[in-house]
Amino acid sequence: MDQFRRIQTGKTGNIHLVMFKDKKILDDTVLDEIRTELTHMIGKASGPDVLLDFSNVEFMSSAMLGLLGQLHRKISTGHGRLKMCGIRPEILTVFKITNLDKLFSIHKDAPTALATFT
Amino acid sequence: MHDTTSGAGGGTRAGVDVLIAEDSRIQARMLERRLTEAGHTVRWGENGALALALARERRPDIIVSDIEMPEMTGYEFCKAVKTDPALRTIPFILLSTLSDPIDIIRGLDAGADNYVTKPYEPDYLLARMDALLATPLTAADDAGGEMLEVTLAGQKFRVRAGRQQVLNLLVSTFENAVSKNQELVVANQELSVARDGLQKSNEELTSLNAEISRINSHMIRDLKAAAKVQRSLLPPDDVEIPGTHVAWRYVPCQSLAGDFLNVFPLDAEHAGLFVVDVSGHGVPSSLMAVTVGRFLTPKVSDSSLLVRQGPDGRVTVVPPAEVATQLNRLFQADEFSGLYFTLLYGVLHLPTGRFDYCSGGHPALVRLPADGGDVEFHPMESFPIAFVPDVEYEQRSLQLVAGDRLFLYSDGVPEAMDKDRNPYGDEAMAACLRASRGQPIADGVAGLLSAVETWCVPEGPLDDVSILGVEWQPSSLTNDPSGRSSSSRPR
Repeated sequence: MDQFRRIQTGKTGNIHLVMFKDKKILDDTVLDEIRTELTHMIGKASGPDVLLDFSNVEFMSSAMLGLLGQLHRKISTGHGRLKMCGIRPEILTVFKITNLDKLFSIHKDAPTALATFT
Repeated sequence: MHDTTSGAGGGTRAGVDVLIAEDSRIQARMLERRLTEAGHTVRWGENGALALALARERRPDIIVSDIEMPEMTGYEFCKAVKTDPALRTIPFILLSTLSDPIDIIRGLDAGADNYVTKPYEPDYLLARMDALLATPLTAADDAGGEMLEVTLAGQKFRVRAGRQQVLNLLVSTFENAVSKNQELVVANQELSVARDGLQKSNEELTSLNAEISRINSHMIRDLKAAAKVQRSLLPPDDVEIPGTHVAWRYVPCQSLAGDFLNVFPLDAEHAGLFVVDVSGHGVPSSLMAVTVGRFLTPKVSDSSLLVRQGPDGRVTVVPPAEVATQLNRLFQADEFSGLYFTLLYGVLHLPTGRFDYCSGGHPALVRLPADGGDVEFHPMESFPIAFVPDVEYEQRSLQLVAGDRLFLYSDGVPEAMDKDRNPYGDEAMAACLRASRGQPIADGVAGLLSAVETWCVPEGPLDDVSILGVEWQPSSLTNDPSGRSSSSRPR
């Protein structure tokens, strides 16, 4: 499995698991690296199922939402599914203000989220 | 690097029986290989004691010994050989680091014939072996056995050594010094070459630095120009709109911001006001802000989304929800860049106090009622602009009473973090605005900004902070009989 600086990746069945390593996703450089690594990970897979785990993330800039939007669009275009889990209440507030908790499929934790992929 | 003119390799006598004492297996193997190549017989003991046993088993022609070894050191081994009548005339070479002059005395005392300093070239060692074997010690030479007294570093040493041995040792020490000196000369030459190279690199660096500073000053100039363009998106400091009291504050966290706000008359009866917050900071976000700003202009033009002119020349105000829907459509045109923005746009009908507004993922509209009621938050569930394609945005309305205040702001206000990363929050904002009741609205807006800045001490806000406040005061509206006419007021 490839080694990334910003994300930890795994796979169960056909579902790509992504765990963000950073506590703070605020800096533009960090964001760009995450973008590159996610793109690299999804790579050639067409319509992949992806679960993003935010358990480590304590702070996140609004620009990260944009990145998630991009990812969401890319994955849904290929008829894949993007789900998220482990989002702290403080960060979830940002999703709620922007109504994006309705756009994204958000779950409490990884097992709960994985169960919804079937 | 060594001078090997004494005939290393080819001229060496062959068939010499060499005994090596060396605790490092690797070094012993390397030396053994080189000696075997030169046609010698090699035996090896990994400490002095083992080597001594080998020497007694069969008398070698020459002994090469390391100094630091377990069991029996090179000095002890040497002394044992030199005090053994059957072995004492065997030439003995000590491999020394020669880090201390006392080493020489110790070697002399032990009876060593020669020193080779480590690290050494095998050819150099071979040459020294040749030299030693060419001038063999005679039994007579070491018979003298006079005691010599040597003072070194304040310490007296009494050593017993024969004339030939002293001579050999003297020559080897001198040769060592010459060899080391040659190495030094070469090293010095290399250093001088390196220094020249360094000087050249330094000059290149200096010129690169000048280049960087030139480019940097260009970029600063461009950034300043961009910041100036961005400021043109803001209302004048002394903005006045009949029928209202307006105040605003705007603090970008970098020279270029993603936030901007504006308030302006749309026609004789309507005022438009908005706060926009583009995700991220810096050049990309500010470019998007400027682009968005072109569409949010009250001037009748092809690009304005806020007002449109019918074929009969009548200017109509576009409802806020339609503005948001249009913006969302426009900014979906490109492949989603990851940049998006939130928007709160409202239109105040000046004669009646009806406020129509629409939010695109923006923090709640806040009302401070004139009647003494508590601060109200009016959140609206909606997606940010440019995030989701083909969204029809909804519109809400608030009926104001005279003296009601509305506050629009960016998330830099409620999400401003203190040093422990606690957000300033809606509650604190409400309390601050509540406390400003009765003061002029300009003081209320300034007070909120300073509360946010105090919250963020010492680092200051990490996000742009925008605050726009409007108080509806219909009494200040001059009763203009043409007020309801359709005359446009392009400014």
